[in-house]
Amino acid sequence: MKNYWWKILAVVLLIYTVVGGMLQEVPRLAILNETIRNLYFHVPMWFGMILILLISVVYSIKYLRKPTIENDIIAYEAAKVGILFGVLGIVTGMEWAKFTWGEYWSNDPKQNASAIGLLIYFAYVVLRSSFAEQQQRARISAVYNIFAFAALIPLLFILPRLTDSLHPGNGGNPGFNSYDLDSRLRMVFYPAVLGWTLLGIWVVNVRSRFEKLRHRLYETV
Amino acid sequence: MKLFKLLAIWCFILGATAGLQPVHAQPGQSQVEYSATTAEADIEMADTLRQDGKIYVVVVVLLTVLIGVLIYLIMLDRKVARLEKQFKE
Repeated sequence: MKNYWWKILAVVLLIYTVVGGMLQEVPRLAILNETIRNLYFHVPMWFGMILILLISVVYSIKYLRKPTIENDIIAYEAAKVGILFGVLGIVTGMEWAKFTWGEYWSNDPKQNASAIGLLIYFAYVVLRSSFAEQQQRARISAVYNIFAFAALIPLLFILPRLTDSLHPGNGGNPGFNSYDLDSRLRMVFYPAVLGWTLLGIWVVNVRSRFEKLRHRLYETV
Repeated sequence: MKLFKLLAIWCFILGATAGLQPVHAQPGQSQVEYSATTAEADIEMADTLRQDGKIYVVVVVLLTVLIGVLIYLIMLDRKVARLEKQFKE
């Protein structure tokens, strides 16, 4: 109970997200109509991605301070789950955009910037796989990971705000748009963000435990 | 097994509360104007879907998929935990 309470929380929040997200009252908005409910599924992918990549970068820094196998494994697994969330975010965003903005890809600044951000992280995976030596791989990819995260933040949160964007909260409009402040949306949105993020952390947890086991197995054999 | 019991109870409670919640028509109370021309009531929403459009079937299907994936993850988690225990011994 001590160690896995957050996993139960993740399950409860996700079930609440689906039930509440489909059945709760939502504001009536032109163009968006019922698709506003995507707020509970598309946006948490990006919030989750940022938080999980933050975990990744923290463990990369920890690795550079104290080079243990564990720090390296968690940094790598978190980066991979973060990439998964980012890909899901971009795909769900494209699906949503097709029916509200008219096109899957309309070269919106935030769309382009998030695509660049994801490419930077794809390069991280490629870079990692190009080293045969474990310590070299861990150290260089940890350094790269810090730069990748530092590039991602302005790409997602600063550059799209400097120009006109179809995304809410951009184009000189700081923070959330007025409809995001609707309390009915908030009631599901915040639990949704927490639930999806916890699910991602759960996957990181299982995967890194598995990798650690595999590493120990190789050590003993 | 404790985990599963807790999960089952939670699913039941959430399902029950969601089922009991009356789905009423939206009152025309909006403080924010989104468009100068369209009145709130003119905006198409899935109002009839909630009455007779079987939206609850979709919710049940979504829940089935979500719970299926979550149970899979839980089983994977336990598998790794068992391996960890074996490794210690």
